[in-house]
Amino acid sequence: MNALRAAGLAVLLLAGAPAVQALEILVAAQESSPALQRFLVGLQASRPDDRVQFSRAEQLPAVADLPRDLRLILIGPELLDWRQRSVEGPPTLVMQVNRIEGRQILGRRQPLGITLLWGDPPLARQLNLIRLLLPQARHIGVLYSNDSAFLVQELRQVTPAGELEINAHFWPNTRDPRVLGRLLDQSDVLLGLDDPHLYNPHTIKTLLLSSYGRRQALIGPTAAFVHAGSLVSTYSDQQDWLDTLGTLLDRDPATWPHELYPAHFKVMGNTRVALSLGIPMTDPHQLEQALQRLEASP
Amino acid sequence: MPFPGLAKSLPPLLLGLTLCSVGRAHAFELFLGTTELPEILTATRLQQAPAAVPGSITVLDRELIRTSGAREITELLRLVPGMLVIPEGSATTVNYHGGLGAAARRLQVMVDGRSVYRPALAQVDWVDIPVAIEDIERIEVFRGPNTVSYGANALLGVINIITRQPSDSLGTQLSYTTGKRGIEDWYARHGFGWDGGAMRISLSAFDHDRFDMDRRGNDFPDSQRLSRLNLRSTHELDSRHSLDWQLALKSGTNQDKNYEYSNDYPANLQDSRADVDARDYAASLRWNIDLSPTHRVYVQGAVQHWERIQEWRACAPQIYFSPALSQLYGQSPSYVNALIAYASGQGAQPVPATPQQMTLTQQLMQDLSLLGFDAYTCGLLNANSRENRFDLEVQDTLSIGDHLRLISGTSYRHDAVTSETYFDGSRSKNIARVFGHLEWYATSEWLLQGGAMYEHDSMIGESLSPRVAVNYLFHPAHGIRAVYAEAVRSPDMFEESADWRMRVRNLQPAVLGQGSAYLFLSSHAQGGLRQEHIVSRELGYNGHFANLGLHLDVRLFDEDITDLITFWPSLGDPSPTNDDRLSFHGWESDANWQLGQSDRLRLSYAYIEFQATHHYDSELTPRHSGSLSWLREWGRGWNSNLTYLGADSLNENRFERLDLHVTKRFQMGSTGIELSGTWQQRLDDNPLGGRNTNYKQRHVYWLSAGVEL
Repeated sequence: MNALRAAGLAVLLLAGAPAVQALEILVAAQESSPALQRFLVGLQASRPDDRVQFSRAEQLPAVADLPRDLRLILIGPELLDWRQRSVEGPPTLVMQVNRIEGRQILGRRQPLGITLLWGDPPLARQLNLIRLLLPQARHIGVLYSNDSAFLVQELRQVTPAGELEINAHFWPNTRDPRVLGRLLDQSDVLLGLDDPHLYNPHTIKTLLLSSYGRRQALIGPTAAFVHAGSLVSTYSDQQDWLDTLGTLLDRDPATWPHELYPAHFKVMGNTRVALSLGIPMTDPHQLEQALQRLEASP
Repeated sequence: MPFPGLAKSLPPLLLGLTLCSVGRAHAFELFLGTTELPEILTATRLQQAPAAVPGSITVLDRELIRTSGAREITELLRLVPGMLVIPEGSATTVNYHGGLGAAARRLQVMVDGRSVYRPALAQVDWVDIPVAIEDIERIEVFRGPNTVSYGANALLGVINIITRQPSDSLGTQLSYTTGKRGIEDWYARHGFGWDGGAMRISLSAFDHDRFDMDRRGNDFPDSQRLSRLNLRSTHELDSRHSLDWQLALKSGTNQDKNYEYSNDYPANLQDSRADVDARDYAASLRWNIDLSPTHRVYVQGAVQHWERIQEWRACAPQIYFSPALSQLYGQSPSYVNALIAYASGQGAQPVPATPQQMTLTQQLMQDLSLLGFDAYTCGLLNANSRENRFDLEVQDTLSIGDHLRLISGTSYRHDAVTSETYFDGSRSKNIARVFGHLEWYATSEWLLQGGAMYEHDSMIGESLSPRVAVNYLFHPAHGIRAVYAEAVRSPDMFEESADWRMRVRNLQPAVLGQGSAYLFLSSHAQGGLRQEHIVSRELGYNGHFANLGLHLDVRLFDEDITDLITFWPSLGDPSPTNDDRLSFHGWESDANWQLGQSDRLRLSYAYIEFQATHHYDSELTPRHSGSLSWLREWGRGWNSNLTYLGADSLNENRFERLDLHVTKRFQMGSTGIELSGTWQQRLDDNPLGGRNTNYKQRHVYWLSAGVEL
């Protein structure tokens, strides 16, 4: 009897205090990697009361077989594709998917139970970065392909009217740099969209040498391009993602949005390129704070 | 276990972490993307920020070049502070700060790293440079001595003409220009690319009548007609090696006056003009090697050929072809001049100084008794020359850490000329050069730069040119600089070893039974000249006010050229010497202001004071000179550029001009159409240039139409 009473008490306690209930968190990705393992360690460390487990995609059961009280964190577009095939399933956070991949997999749909945490820098944030670093820039050059055309529309919506002007050029054939040349001739700075068709290891040389040849900076498309020679980009590192995930995991999944960009971010700049272009690259931390202030009061 | 199917849990993960932490993988690679991207803008590829340059650079960018409507490079150079552009006969000369306007020899001019000043005469035939203005990406003008980086002849500055990358000029472009003063140009280009390469081929023609008359109002023949073929190709051999090669051919005719022409002699036996057929050929190959992101080398080789064919008929008294007179003149020009003066009834009869002069004078008297003073003869003269240059250069750029960069290199050059008239045969010289330049960021604010060049010129000797500079970057975009530089200019082959005589052929009537003879006048360089030497001190400021869109450069300069060779090559004049001196001091400024989205203002100004020991060097330099340009985008494809150019005393004349260029662009599908018009209005009536040429009308205009497919 005592044992039964104790068990009943425990059930009551757990039911009455959902906030402190330990969560079962399942992280899934196509492949494991040292970087992913470090992320998992970080996630577990940030949530000591929860149980974090990892599964490779091929070892996952069917979505419908997963417990509904599980929190599913999926890494990469392949996993999004796998998850979106099932209407039913545990609340899911999808990371490491950019806007174009999201659009290709989901179209305009917003499936219930799936929250997309976009991996590419938000365009409004990148624009703010241009306003802070290159206050004289007025004409923002943007290349787009069929895949990224929808992003240009969004970019125009977040562009401060009268202050900046978006010069968007369609670049269907990246082997023909004429479009790029014409765009650069009409622009003060090039803003990269995270479109792998346009920005990839094969095109980046042409893009950077052409823009630098005109003493113009490339902003973005992501922090990965900064080492190659892009001037600057915002990005979110592991801690930023853990903070973002922490906020969501603490909340009732029913209140999770369909999509979001991480509120926590950092700035990565190429000081050598900045120096060469004569652009004062203030301390990245100060830039982060300035960006946060701009986002707080746009 | 809630999910029996899950294979991995935390302990193995921790093991994985231990292993990976010693590798290069970093946690946030997960959030940076996994694609391997090459480092493109490496430390060796990046150029210095404007505020960190050890000197002053004016950049004439493509927008400025296009919207200026300029048809000639020399017209663009008027936008550079302190750059003095004047016409000289059938040519145009460009000097920086001053010197003898008619003979500009102290600037290094390069096209894509290939030096284009003529080997024998050290001058630049601007109109003959085989490059079309449409193919130019930008022109960088380094104001001040820079022999460390560009070799001797960069005594006062360097003009770097950089053509467009073939990959930036794909497709087809056609344009046609016509206007007053016989202006008629066309340009055709086709560029195409492939995986890892691109090629551009352009054909162009340039045609105009230039000036209408000389200072006396007489017709002045100086039309220029030329056509060019340019080919440039780039090849990415692999991720570390690339090739860039060029071919340039130019052929044309530059009209010139027959300066020997005289009204005393029958016009039907003389040419009123002495036109120059000018052909310029060049080929170059550059091999870029990226050894690592911090180490880059290039090897560049070039061959060039300049051919100037100038043949004409002129008349002179037969006695001028007397061998005795020629020999006498060779021994003592002053004796012959006195003798001619005496024969014309001026002065006393000169006394021969030597027995040989006495003998020659007696022979001359015999010739004179046969030929008389008034008998003339007419024959064919020439001032032909053929010059060649071979150039090989290796340059190495090495970045050591984030704060140190070393640029070093070596080059070898062979210059040769063949000209019966100017050299009585051939001359050649070899120039070997080693150079090094170090940039060191002592702190993020203090940048120290220094370098030196050692040059051995087989005709002149050795020289060492050092340069040191300190830049204080009190803000990354604002810097103050102090520069001390020494530089040299080696005398050219004409100055050092001219043997200038006119062999006149096809004499009619024959003189003393000879159908071919030398005109008695001659000039022989004595040789033994030293290099001209400049000591330059500069204080400067360069800043970029990002909020205002304003870029400003101010330069205070003090330049002192010693061992100066000032002479105007004229047949019969004495040999050049190192006897002169020329110094400049003053200040100049270059500002570029982007006002809002549509307007751009560009200002250049120079205030120059000078001291010159030779009056030839006292004429060109204006105290105040400059330009102001207003570029505007009106929207709907309309653009304009309004430019004022002015100098208070350019070659002793006030010069003021207003240029307006208006462009309208349409886009029809993938085809771009451009229509434009240029109006130049002189605000003064002054002639320009050493030979004081002028126009009948103060204005000129031309119209262009172009299509880009």
